[in-house]
Amino acid sequence: MSAQGLTLQGMPPLALYVHLPWCVRKCPYCDFNSHPLHGELPAEAYVDALLADLDQQLPLVWGRVLHSIFFGGGTPSLFSGAQIERFLDGVRARMSLAPAAEITLEANPGTVEHDHFAAYRAAGVNRVSLGVQSFADAALQQLGRIHGGQEAITAIDRLRQAGFDNFNIDLMYGLPQQDVAAAVDDVQRALAFAPTHVSHYQLTLEPNTLFAHRPPPLPDEDIIASMQEACADHLQAAGLRQYEVSAWSQPQHECRHNLNYWRFGDYLAVGAGAHGKLTLPAEQAIVRYVRQPSPKRYLQAMQSGEWDQSRSCPDARTLVFEFFLNALRLRDGVDLALFQQRTGLAMNWLQQPLDEAQQRGLVWIDGDDLHITDLGWRFLNDLQAIFLPA
Amino acid sequence: MTAHIRNFSIIAHIDHGKSTLADRFIRLCDGLTEREMSEQVLDSMDIERERGITIKSQSVRLNYVADDGQTYQLNLIDTPGHVDFSYEVSRSLSACEGALLVVDAAQGVEAQSVANCYTAVEQGLEVVPVLNKIDLPAADPERVREEIENVIGIDASDALEVSAKTGVGVREVLEAIIRLIPPPGDHSSQPLRALIIDSWFDNYLGVVSLIRVVDGQVRKGDKIKVMSTGQVHQVDQLGVFTPKRRPAEQLNNGEVGYLVASVKDVHGAPVGDTLTLAKGGAEQPLPGFMLMQPRVFSGLFPVSADDYADLRDALEKLRLNDAALQFEPETSDALGFGFRCGFLGMLHLEIVQERLEREYDIDLITTAPTVIYELQLTDGEVIKLENPSAMPPVNKIAEIREPIITANILLPQEFVGAVITLCEQKRGRQIQMRYLGKQVSIVYALPMAEVVLDFFDRLKSVSRGYASFDYQFERYEAGPFVRVDILINGERVDALSLVVHRADAERRGREMAEKMRELIPRQMFDVAIQAAIGSHVIARSNVKALRKNVTAKCYGGDATRKRKLLEKQKEGKKRMKQVGRVEIPQEAFLAALNTSD
Repeated sequence: MSAQGLTLQGMPPLALYVHLPWCVRKCPYCDFNSHPLHGELPAEAYVDALLADLDQQLPLVWGRVLHSIFFGGGTPSLFSGAQIERFLDGVRARMSLAPAAEITLEANPGTVEHDHFAAYRAAGVNRVSLGVQSFADAALQQLGRIHGGQEAITAIDRLRQAGFDNFNIDLMYGLPQQDVAAAVDDVQRALAFAPTHVSHYQLTLEPNTLFAHRPPPLPDEDIIASMQEACADHLQAAGLRQYEVSAWSQPQHECRHNLNYWRFGDYLAVGAGAHGKLTLPAEQAIVRYVRQPSPKRYLQAMQSGEWDQSRSCPDARTLVFEFFLNALRLRDGVDLALFQQRTGLAMNWLQQPLDEAQQRGLVWIDGDDLHITDLGWRFLNDLQAIFLPA
Repeated sequence: MTAHIRNFSIIAHIDHGKSTLADRFIRLCDGLTEREMSEQVLDSMDIERERGITIKSQSVRLNYVADDGQTYQLNLIDTPGHVDFSYEVSRSLSACEGALLVVDAAQGVEAQSVANCYTAVEQGLEVVPVLNKIDLPAADPERVREEIENVIGIDASDALEVSAKTGVGVREVLEAIIRLIPPPGDHSSQPLRALIIDSWFDNYLGVVSLIRVVDGQVRKGDKIKVMSTGQVHQVDQLGVFTPKRRPAEQLNNGEVGYLVASVKDVHGAPVGDTLTLAKGGAEQPLPGFMLMQPRVFSGLFPVSADDYADLRDALEKLRLNDAALQFEPETSDALGFGFRCGFLGMLHLEIVQERLEREYDIDLITTAPTVIYELQLTDGEVIKLENPSAMPPVNKIAEIREPIITANILLPQEFVGAVITLCEQKRGRQIQMRYLGKQVSIVYALPMAEVVLDFFDRLKSVSRGYASFDYQFERYEAGPFVRVDILINGERVDALSLVVHRADAERRGREMAEKMRELIPRQMFDVAIQAAIGSHVIARSNVKALRKNVTAKCYGGDATRKRKLLEKQKEGKKRMKQVGRVEIPQEAFLAALNTSD
């Protein structure tokens, strides 16, 4: 037994998250670990650091197979195909990659040229997530994006010309001054490209962003609810299925990397500010860690060895919460057997919160299957909050 | 030997510079070094500093070397400056032989000072008028002298001109104290009698009492008796405040200081009681204080039921040095277990509420304050109604009577029209109006319920802050009163009921329903709000169901942000009270206070 009191049997699937923190400029709504680029991108040095970071962590995952890799940012498409290739070659040299492993790269329209996409593809990237957000120029400007609607269209065209048939379009709704028709229009324009995946999420004002300090005028919450419903109708009609709160896909094209988060799998993290989570069976422990968020300090870690900003073993109550925070996002509900497998905790940890959730009509339970009711789905925050450690 | 002792208080309106003047005295007498001198040392509670008012009495002993070369012991006993605390003023004054009346030389006399000044004169104190803020360009000492003579009726021709801010004239004030205020009588050969001016609870020492030794002396180690209860304690510590606590071996007659006698029980040292020696003590206690009756009642409930016992302890501790605070257990269907508390007025209520939340860290729900109604029942019985939800059925009530006060309002001439309009709106009846120089004194009979509501704020606003007022309870008067209930999703919420004048009932009902609609956040289902008199619904409103939560993007591997967000939302809900399925925020229980007129 570990200090966390876990009984872990078997290993969850393993993924790798790679954080590339630079952006051309910071968007006013963004609270990710992103840094505006001043001067030359230290791309080669950063790839060296990523690989050194990975070397560091190999002993924790000996023998395990990687099922997916995700390049997130920041704006990963600031890196060239050759740089991405050098990193991926480095990963393959160090670890075994599952056949047909999903390798996603986030890209922003406005930072990618046609040959870039081809080069990413040659490097082994097989899925692209494009941060379109909207096709309306006025909305994009409000969001502080560096691209316009036309550039978004061009980028999707180029993406497809480069041979990517598996791609995601990020769309936001509830934008300043947006109405229901405008939100639907964005969805329709995206659907015209037959994407395999659409991330459709509401603009939120996060703490420590420019928008939080100077909030833009957002639509009324009832209008936003109508937008969501109207957009959902169109997404569904186009053959996409909502498998997660903000994720829609064609059959078999769910984002496997993200599914792994939501099913409480393991993930290695490399790059400035990246978050990792690993199951360590020898210690009967689950460990979470965060890499140095400052790109400068991260690069210096090659010398200093100070890769981590923090590292901790969440206690049982925190594990319960984190498992459900993730798993409840999935439309198909939660397999309760997975809870035991992934957290190593006994089912009695769930007695109280599950009773409350059922009594409030947010879920219903059938054997090991936890189903989320329509009410629970609409009020997911209330449902997730039930699992908060007291 | 009491010839070199002077005990005095300062009577002043808020902002007239009492604390600044007290600070000057302390500086002049080396009570504290510059470094120790934080602004306004006498106001020791956070709330007092923030609001710039004094709530609790404190004392400070100053050793002053006078112009005649002799050293005098000056005991300054601080007094509160708000109408709600006039009771505390009379307590402080009873330990003194004199009082400084500090008046702002620009603003002139204010109603509270008048009331407190009369108390001082009634108690036989020598009142020394002082004109402060003489450095201000708007200062008009001649006019204010005249006002003091006209309004209060004491001779102000020799009133000292002072600027506590710059220090001008401060020494002269101390000289005047020595010259004009009599020393305490010498009763050193009589058996000990000491008046408890104030008591408070210290976590380390237990109960600490501020006392004025009237007869004899008390020494460390003495066995003393609390005369009302006969309880005997041994004196562990004695001392004075300079304003730092400075231990002493004994306190002699005429002196003011503190006493610790390992009294652990908060009821052990009642304010206004007399201490004497256990053996060979005095026969008769000193005249105590008249106990103030609370006039405003409100329910205080812990947000979390677990805090009930803590709330009771906290109220008991507060009550120790706030004898006017009354409380008894109350049970509400909506709010669970709490206390029905009686206060002197709205400020008193707010202060107690804030102290409970800050000093004792208890989240509270306060119900709308109400006055006491007198009910004549059909069977001839007369009862006092402190809680609207406890009103007997209408067919058992012969008559409902509300408390009427006499309000004394002082204001500059140009606001007379506005203030009279306000008083008329508040169902007032004019009793008297007098022109006194540039000021006007208006006396009105007003329903206490209207005063509790928002009269003070409204008075300040219509007079741009210049009007001041003071009031006394006068009598009960019958009228057409009804109880307005608030129903949420069909359920009567007892804590929201209020008694109002029939003519105002519909408007107040509408306002309540509207206010509740604004204050109750949208929930997973519709919330129907109704205001009703008996079974007759007079107003309704509706909080529409929320359609959904925000669908935010997933933060990849980082669970911490979403957790913080959810925790914040949960924290917000914890501060709400669940009535049936509906979550009602704390402020909603005070919605009755927010009226439009």
